[in-house]
Amino acid sequence: MSTQLLRFAPAALVAALLGLPLFVPDFLLFEISIAVSYGIAILGLNLLLGFTGQICLAQGALFGVGAYTTAILNVSFGWDPVATLPFAAISAGLIGVIIGLPALRLQGLQLAIITFGVASAFPQLLLKMDTLTGGVTGLATDQPFAPKWFPGSQEAWLYGLSLICAAISIVVVTRLLRGDTGRMMRALRDNPVIAEALGVNLTKGRLAAFAVSSALAGLGGGLFCILNGFISPQSFLPMKSIDILIGGIVGGITSIAGAFIGALFVVFVPGFTTDINPALGGLIYGLCLIGMMMIARQGIAGLRMEKLPAAILGVFKFKSSSRFPGAVPGQLGGE
Amino acid sequence: MVLFFQLVVDGLASGAIYASLALALVLIFRATRIVNFGQGEMATFSAYCAWQLCEWGVPMMLSFLVAGVLAFLLGIGVFRLVIRPVSTAPVEAVVVATLGLFVVFQALSLWLWGSDQRAFPSMFPNVGWDIRGVRLTASAAGMIAVLICLAALTGVVFRFTRLGLAMRASAYDGEKSLLVGIPVERMLMLGWGFAAAIGFVAALLVGPRLFLSPTMMMPILLYALASATLGGWDSPLGAMIGGLIVGVAESLGATFLPFIGADLRVVIPILVTLVVLLVRPVGLFGTRTVVKL
Amino acid sequence: MTMLKIQGLSAGYGAADVLHSVDFTVEQGTIVALLGANGAGKTTILRALSGLVPARGTIHFRGKDVSRCNAAQRVALGLAHIPQGRGTFGDFTVEENLAAGAFTVTDRRQIAQDMERWYAAFPRLAERRRQQAGSLSGGEQQMLALARALMSRPKLLMCDEPSLGLAPAITQEIFEIFKTLNREHDMTLLIVEQNADLTLQFADTAYVLESGSFTVSGAAAELLGNEAVQQSYLGV
Repeated sequence: MSTQLLRFAPAALVAALLGLPLFVPDFLLFEISIAVSYGIAILGLNLLLGFTGQICLAQGALFGVGAYTTAILNVSFGWDPVATLPFAAISAGLIGVIIGLPALRLQGLQLAIITFGVASAFPQLLLKMDTLTGGVTGLATDQPFAPKWFPGSQEAWLYGLSLICAAISIVVVTRLLRGDTGRMMRALRDNPVIAEALGVNLTKGRLAAFAVSSALAGLGGGLFCILNGFISPQSFLPMKSIDILIGGIVGGITSIAGAFIGALFVVFVPGFTTDINPALGGLIYGLCLIGMMMIARQGIAGLRMEKLPAAILGVFKFKSSSRFPGAVPGQLGGE
Repeated sequence: MVLFFQLVVDGLASGAIYASLALALVLIFRATRIVNFGQGEMATFSAYCAWQLCEWGVPMMLSFLVAGVLAFLLGIGVFRLVIRPVSTAPVEAVVVATLGLFVVFQALSLWLWGSDQRAFPSMFPNVGWDIRGVRLTASAAGMIAVLICLAALTGVVFRFTRLGLAMRASAYDGEKSLLVGIPVERMLMLGWGFAAAIGFVAALLVGPRLFLSPTMMMPILLYALASATLGGWDSPLGAMIGGLIVGVAESLGATFLPFIGADLRVVIPILVTLVVLLVRPVGLFGTRTVVKL
Repeated sequence: MTMLKIQGLSAGYGAADVLHSVDFTVEQGTIVALLGANGAGKTTILRALSGLVPARGTIHFRGKDVSRCNAAQRVALGLAHIPQGRGTFGDFTVEENLAAGAFTVTDRRQIAQDMERWYAAFPRLAERRRQQAGSLSGGEQQMLALARALMSRPKLLMCDEPSLGLAPAITQEIFEIFKTLNREHDMTLLIVEQNADLTLQFADTAYVLESGSFTVSGAAAELLGNEAVQQSYLGV
C-alpha cells in the first residue's frame, strides 16, 4: 500500500505544482517563482558542496552574472528574454570556471573566503562598468507576456517558465549524479587523494563541478531578472551569496528537493518573522536559523518525522550534548 | 615618497582594526575549529552598550571597561547557549548557527538603538604630529599601540601563564587535555569570552572612524577573514601580521593601482590573500592545513 | 587497601556495548595487567575509568565513588591515564608538557620540585627541556608521557599499550621504570598490553579480556605458566 503510494508521489507533486496557480493568489505565485529561481542557484551550490565537497560563496555573484547577461542581451541587443537564458547559464558557467581555478589548490575555509571576496567585489564591479550595466540605476528588462491562448494570469505564465527552468536543472543534476560523473564527484568529495590515485582527473572534475554549479546559478539569475523585470547592483550584495548558502544548508546540501525547500525558507521565513513583529523580525529569523540547526542538523530534507520529537528534546538536553570533551572525534575544520 | 609613507601609516592604522578582529576569529577557530561569522556583530552590540553607558553619563573609560566585561560575558553566554548545543552537528550546521548569530546581533542592535548613525567617543586625543611631511595622528598611533598591547597581552597569557597553557592545550587536543585534568570545556568557554572582548576592542577602534551603526562591522569582517586566512588560521601572531599587511596593501593599492582605485579596494585583501595562499596554502604562519570548511 | 574497585562496568560507543558488566579490583602497591587481543575492550576499560567514555556501573577509587566525577576531577583525585600513542602535546616543549601535567597541582613550589625530581629520574628529558615534544624519539616520548602523568601526583597510574611502536629494548626499559616506580615510590599501576609475555613478568595480577568480558584472571606468575591460557588467549 505505502510503496504504491510512494510510486505516485512524484506524479502527485507535479500535479500539485501545476495546479498551484488555481489556488494561490498572484502575488504569492510571484514570490514562489522568485524562490524557484533561488532554488536553481542553491541546487548548483548543493552539487558543489554536497556532492563534490567544495565550497563557493560567490554563488550570489554568479547569480548576478546570469541576471546581467539576460538584462544586457535584452536591453542592448533586443533579444527575447527567454532566449537569453541559455547564455545566462553559459556566461556564468565560464566565469565560474575562472572563480574555480583557485579551488585546484585551495579547499574549505580558504576557498570560502576567497570566493566570498569575489561576492563582495561584484556589486562594486557592476558600478564600475556602468556603461554596460547601467550603474546604480540598474536595468529594466522586457517581460515575456503570456500568449492569448493562455487562460491564466501573467504571473501564472512566469511561474510556468520557472517550473520549466527548475525541471531542466533537476534533470541535468540527476543525470550528472547518476552516471560515472556522479561517482567521480563523490569520490572527489570523500577522498580526493585516493580518487586521483584511481585515475580520476582532479583538475577536470573540480572545474567541471564549478562550471555546472555556476551555470545553474546563472540560469537562476537570468530567470530572476525576467521575473523581477528590473535588476540593479543592490540585488546582488554579498549577503545574497550568504542567503544562498543558508538556503542550501537549511534545506539539506545532499538533496535536490532540499535546494528548493531551502529556497522557500530564505524567501519566505524572513517575511513571516517580520509579520510576527516588524521590529524583531531579524531577531526571530536569526533565532530560527540557530534553532533549525539544533533540530535539523542535516537540513530539512534530512529530517525524519519519527525522529523529530527526539531531536527537539535533544536541544534541551544540555548534558553530554557537547563534542568538546573529545568522546566524538571533532569534524570541524578537520586536519 | 611622502605620500607613500603617509599611506603606509594610514594603512597600518586600519590594519590594526582588521588585525584585532582577525585575532578574535583565530582564537576561536584555534580552540573550537569554528569560524564565528557573528564576531563582528557581537562586537558592534558591545560597542553600543559602551555608547549607551557614555550617554547615561558614565565616564568614557569606565563605560568601556564595563562594556568590555559585558562583551566577555556575552562570548561565554553565546558559547553555552548556541555553540555547545550545535557542536556535535556537521560543520555546515555550525556555519549556519554562527550566521544566525550574525543576524541576531545585528537585529538586536537595530531594535534597541535604531539605524541612525551615532557619534562614538574616541579613546585618543584629537591631535597629530608632522614627521617630515607625514602626518601621524594620535588616533592612528593609538590604534597601532592598542594592537601591540593586545599582541603582547595574548603572547604573555598564552606563553607564561597556567591559564594560557591550559587554553593552548585544550585547543591542541581536547582529550589529551582532559587526561591531565584540564576542564577543557571551561577553557573553550573562556576562549570565546576573551575573543568577544578582543572583538569589542576592534569595535572601539572602528567606532570613532566610521559612525556607530548596526552594520558598522560588516565590511571589517571580510578584511578580518582575509587577514586570518593570510596569516594562517591557527596562528594568532599570523592573524595580526596578516591584518597589518591587508591594511597597508589596501591603502597603497587604492592609490597606486589606477584600475582598482577607491571603489574596488575590496578586491585588494582578496588578491593579496590569494597570492599568499597559492604560494603557501596554510597561510604565512599557519602550520596545520585546514581541509574542510 | 583496595585502590580501585569496579563493579558491573559496561560501556560502549553509540548503540553497541563494548564492555559487558566487568568486575575487578586493583590493590594498592601492585602492578595489574589487562591482557587481551585487539578489540577486546581493554582500551575502553581505561577510557571508562578516566571518564572519557560514558559508562554504567560503579567505580570506587580509594573508597570513594567516582562514577559521577568528570575526567578532570578524576585526575585531581589521583587517577592518571597515559593513553595509547603517548598523549603528549606535540607542539609544546618538554617543559610545557610537564607543566600541563601539573595542572591539578596548585602549589608552585611543589611543581618545581616535582619537575626537578623527574628530570633527575629521566636525564634524557632534562637534556631536551626546550625541545618540542613532537621531535622526540618514541621511547623519549613514552618517558615524557610517563613523567607528565607523574606530575599530577597520581595514586594510580594507568598506561595503555606502553610498548606500542617501541623497540624491544626500549620497551624493556619502560617496564623496568614501572617496576622501580612500584617498588620505590609505592605506585600502583594498571597496564593494558598486547605483549603478554613481557607484561606477565612484571605484573602481580592479570586479567584476560575477551569480547568485553574477563575469561581468566589470577596471579601473573600462574598465568605465565598456564599453557592453556598461553595458547588460547595470549597467542604465544
